[in-house]
Amino acid sequence: MLKIDDLHVAVGENGDAILKGLSLEVPAGEVHAIMGPNGSGKSTLSYTVAGREGYDVTAGDVLLKGESIIDLDPDERAAKGLFLSFQHPMEIPGVQTMNFIRTAMNARARARGEDEISAADFLRSVREKAKLVGLDDTKLKRPFNVGFSGGEKKRMEMLQMAMFEPEFAIMDETDSGLDIDALKMVGDVVNALRAPSRGFLVITHYQRLLEYIKPDAVHVLAGGRIVKSGGAELARELEQSGYEQFVEAA
Amino acid sequence: MSNSLLINPSAFEAGLEAAFLARSKPNETGQAAFERFAKQRLPHRRIEGWKWSDFNAALRSTALTPAPKADRIDPSAFAALNPIEFTIVNGRVEAPAEEWPEGVRFGVMESVGTIEELESHPIVSMNVAMTAKSLGIEIGDGVELERPILIRHIAEGGGLSFAQSMIRVCPGASVRIIETYEGDGGGFSSHLFHGLVRDDASLERYLVNETGEAAVNHAICAVKMEARAAFRQTSLSTGAKLSRHETLLHFWGEGASAHIDSAALVAGARHADFTSHVLHKQPHCTVRQLHKGVAADSARTVFQGKFEVERAAQKTDAQMTANALLLSDGAEADHKPELEIYADDVECAHGSTCGALDDDALFYLRQRGLSNEEARSLLIEAFASEVIDGIEDDAVRDVFAARVAAWLEARS
Ligand SMILES: Nc1ncnc2c1ncn2[C@@H]1O[C@H](COP(=O)(O)OP(=O)(O)OP(=O)(O)O)[C@@H](O)[C@H]1O
Ligand SMILES: [Mg+2]
Repeated sequence: MLKIDDLHVAVGENGDAILKGLSLEVPAGEVHAIMGPNGSGKSTLSYTVAGREGYDVTAGDVLLKGESIIDLDPDERAAKGLFLSFQHPMEIPGVQTMNFIRTAMNARARARGEDEISAADFLRSVREKAKLVGLDDTKLKRPFNVGFSGGEKKRMEMLQMAMFEPEFAIMDETDSGLDIDALKMVGDVVNALRAPSRGFLVITHYQRLLEYIKPDAVHVLAGGRIVKSGGAELARELEQSGYEQFVEAA
Repeated sequence: MSNSLLINPSAFEAGLEAAFLARSKPNETGQAAFERFAKQRLPHRRIEGWKWSDFNAALRSTALTPAPKADRIDPSAFAALNPIEFTIVNGRVEAPAEEWPEGVRFGVMESVGTIEELESHPIVSMNVAMTAKSLGIEIGDGVELERPILIRHIAEGGGLSFAQSMIRVCPGASVRIIETYEGDGGGFSSHLFHGLVRDDASLERYLVNETGEAAVNHAICAVKMEARAAFRQTSLSTGAKLSRHETLLHFWGEGASAHIDSAALVAGARHADFTSHVLHKQPHCTVRQLHKGVAADSARTVFQGKFEVERAAQKTDAQMTANALLLSDGAEADHKPELEIYADDVECAHGSTCGALDDDALFYLRQRGLSNEEARSLLIEAFASEVIDGIEDDAVRDVFAARVAAWLEARS
């Protein structure tokens, strides 16, 4: 479903090469996890797949449902069903949370040639899902993420993921900074969305989330490429042994 | 022109003098004002306080004649508020033909000149010399006027137009005044507003400038506040080739408070200037000032704010914030926040920022599905929203929000 093929990415003013031939495939219906040391390029991979400016694809390709997306704008990729849960979600002062989520849903719907969601349906759905992710209604009326705690911002990412029902989601350290109940909630949101037509790429530093999510595969990203892939047990091994062996290998 | 008062007049000034001489019967006040103007002349960038907004450069080369009579019947954007509506079309005051609420009086009268502090202001001098009739409104003791008063300043077809209005809010009374500056005409228009807010009275003033891209306009409001008076002013300018809105606020009584907020959203080659001077003469007065300027293309916003706190004005609480958002490399924002404080027990602060749209936020929004245009519009709207959301009156706020949305819509 998501196929990353020999991806080379350069960033910054100096054009530093960060991803150096990364290949990875997540078939439809599966959840894959990526683990890797700080600075190894995990967020770079998420941003590149999502189409962020300044992340220069110097070689390779990214395909979503068999179609190359590297020439598409971020919103076009979003319209194709791609969702990124940000490692560091933005605060957007002056934009009411509920209005924003609805605006985003309608923009996606229009781009996909679908009907916009009615105000009533939206309200019902957003309230229900806010409850699911543990955000109370008053937060929905506040400016988007402004003054929210780190954990609340992550919950807000999950609220959007639950609302948008994306076809493919990349979750960049959604679990970092979350309390134990929230970890389980993230697991619930992912598990509820899991379907034969959907895929997930879960970036994490901790094995804990994977106990709730149960990945079909785990990959180790080090030095800008995937240096090892395995099953769920690989995450447990890494928790024991750390990344040292891979950093040296990369 | 042998008996001209002006030495080496520009085409504009010569035209102005001709128009002044052609006035049916300028009174003494008008005559004295023109004599002042003849010395002061059109302000230009080498004059203190005018360096960023050069009216001389914008006007000098064209002689304008008084704008002709014009009709304008488009409903106001504020019509839904059921206001008591005055129109001043090309300087001619038209009062509404309706019964006045009890305790409210108005009159169209001879121009009465200005306050001493403004006699050194060249555009005020011009205004006093040229204005034939001025609009006066009085809100009687304790009258809380439900309906807003709407004053529409409409400049059509170019030319010169001058207007004056005066409002007195008597003790314990309250009123909302909405002023719109409209019209596609180029030319020059000037409005001089005097306000007096007596003890425990409240004046809210809302201003929208959406004049056409050839217009040059100047509006100045001088408000005196007595004890425990409240003044709130929110201005929005998207219009004019060159506009300047000045506010001169005097705290004459203890315990008065004021909010002076403004938003400028300008594109093309427009230029919007908000200049203000708040003078604290008495203790325990509070002022909050917030300015948001958005400039696109080669447009420019100017903010000059001054708080002056006299020695007697202890316990003054004054805060000024000016933020600019530049949407292109050619856009410009100039800020000059000033505190001049002679009292020792006061809390006064100011802050000023200038920046571009946040790339991180833009990417976030686009990842959520908004197009580049939609994402930019949302962030611009959000930037201006602090001023708009500060409007306490729901109906007025809705119209302001709609004007901002219309501006964004027109640009995308
Ligand atoms: N815009 C940029 N300009 C310069 N260097 C960058 C830029 N973005 C990322 N980098 C560098 O690329 C490398 C990879 O960063 P990235 O954020 O992808 O790491 P990560 O694997 O997500 O780390 P973490 O686990 O800490 O989140 C780092 O060395 C980082 O400093
Ligand atoms: Mg990261």
